[in-house]
Amino acid sequence: MGKAVILCVDDEVGVLNSLKIQLKNEFSDAYLYEAAESADEALELIEELQEDEIDIVVIVSDWLMPGIKGDEFLIKVHEKFPKIVKILLTGQADEAAITRAIERANLHTCLHKPWDSKELITTIKSGIEQLSC
Amino acid sequence: MTREKNKEEKFQANILIVDDTQSNLRLLVDLLKKKGYKVCPVTNGKMALSEVKGMMPDLILLDIMMPEMDGYEVCRQLKADEATREIPVIFMSALDEVLDKVKAFGVGGVDYITKPFQLKEVLARVETHIELRRLQKRLEDRNEELSKTVEELKATQSQLIQSEKMAVLGQLIAGVAHEINTPLGVIRSSIGNIANFFSDSLAELPKFLQKLSPEMQSYFFNLVDNSAKKSELLSSREQRRFKRALIAELEAKNIEDSEAIADTLVDLGIYDNLEQFLPLLTDKNMPKILENAYYLSSVKNSSKNIINATERAAKIVFALKNYARYSSIEEKVPVDVIEGIETVLTLYKNSIKQGVEIVRNYGEMPLVHCYADELNQVWTNIIHNALQAMNNKGTLTIDTSAENDKVCIAIADSGPGIPEEIRAKIFEPFFTTKPAGEGSGIGLDIVKKIVEKHSGSIEVDSQRGKTTFKVFIPTS
Repeated sequence: MGKAVILCVDDEVGVLNSLKIQLKNEFSDAYLYEAAESADEALELIEELQEDEIDIVVIVSDWLMPGIKGDEFLIKVHEKFPKIVKILLTGQADEAAITRAIERANLHTCLHKPWDSKELITTIKSGIEQLSC
Repeated sequence: MTREKNKEEKFQANILIVDDTQSNLRLLVDLLKKKGYKVCPVTNGKMALSEVKGMMPDLILLDIMMPEMDGYEVCRQLKADEATREIPVIFMSALDEVLDKVKAFGVGGVDYITKPFQLKEVLARVETHIELRRLQKRLEDRNEELSKTVEELKATQSQLIQSEKMAVLGQLIAGVAHEINTPLGVIRSSIGNIANFFSDSLAELPKFLQKLSPEMQSYFFNLVDNSAKKSELLSSREQRRFKRALIAELEAKNIEDSEAIADTLVDLGIYDNLEQFLPLLTDKNMPKILENAYYLSSVKNSSKNIINATERAAKIVFALKNYARYSSIEEKVPVDVIEGIETVLTLYKNSIKQGVEIVRNYGEMPLVHCYADELNQVWTNIIHNALQAMNNKGTLTIDTSAENDKVCIAIADSGPGIPEEIRAKIFEPFFTTKPAGEGSGIGLDIVKKIVEKHSGSIEVDSQRGKTTFKVFIPTS
């Protein structure tokens, strides 16, 4: 049982870069950090990590991406991995999609871009805490 | 036409009679009054001319042989004045020579009666010309109505184009907001990261560096330097690949915490060739050195992120400005059509991002003299329809070319196509295949009108898997 992974999914490389620096600044080597530029890539990655017996503890995902959208992606993830903390980080609010994610993926929070870094860290921490309850 | 109507018309008709012979005047006045016409007799040309404007008769019976001003002269003056030009003039005279008749028609008379009068003949001719005059007036009224209606239609059309543009703009705004929020998010996060560095790590750095051996110090600066020089942006897939390889290498050398170390090395732009860093990697201070190098280089990376994000946001705003730029200009301006199309594509980035591949075959294009704002409407409508037809997944192909004095812009989508039966109707106003509330269907009708306004033409060709709209616009 090594360190767990925080996975970021967004089709914008800039977002992935700045998110990673932010998370690494906050959590240092408490966690490992992975990134994917689409839901498809993320699902592949999740499979690989599972094979390597590495756990994912948090997923921060964008909503509007090419291919599968964020809500659908998180719902898929939830079916296999109900324990992962799922957070939507989106530039555009599609109310119906967010509701779907809450109901069928147990979405922990939905944050809007541009996001407040403190808010992001706080909600990740609270999500992880809730896991141990 | 019934007799009743004739009578009604006669009541409205008024006739000016000009003759210097009182007996003639009396004769004609009686005759015409009996038939229901309003009659105004005058005895000379001067009086006739002064009466005419006030009375605006439907017909003038004009004697030729009169002292001072003869009938020809009166007629000439009537025809010279725009206000009285259209009033029909029937000449009356004892003179019966062919030359005079020709002269009478020459100065603008419409008919000629010879004295002594055949009363029935006089009536017949009067009736004929009154009727002609009535029809002429009706025609003029109709024309005026039509002109007004055309003006109203034009104004309505302008309104429709404007409101259609606003509707499309409204839809675009949602997508654009997302497009701008994302770079803003990157900028805010990156600034936070830089600020973090200054508040958390910077103070410690000098002390930490002093404690290092000169060899380790130089490794530290090498790492930072190397990272700053790194210019390629790897995809997350590629980064993972390098990371895996590094983890394997590190484990082979028995270096602990290989995943975290590998991750940091990749972040620092080191993807292989660990041999040169071996002394560093086996040093006891290695974790801290890497960490601090990472923090320092993250400042540089954050700056890069900010620069890229700012470019992105600026591009979107520029596209919006471009789109709205020509709004208030009502005249033709020379325009780069390709720039216009690219502006529209930028504004639709959100939809395109969901799975549309754009193929651009841009040929050499001269500047086109056009109503820029309206032409942008054309591209917006066609591209909007194309994306919708494909459900934002497929291929959008844009070809531009110039031949002789025209340019041709072809926009094709890979959607299911337009069924044969409705193809003829798509340019009709308000025709739509979308369910109620989802689109007024005004788009293609407006597009056609705009293209026609430019003296251009639009064609559509459609099969399953490829629908092409071709727009031809003359360059000037």
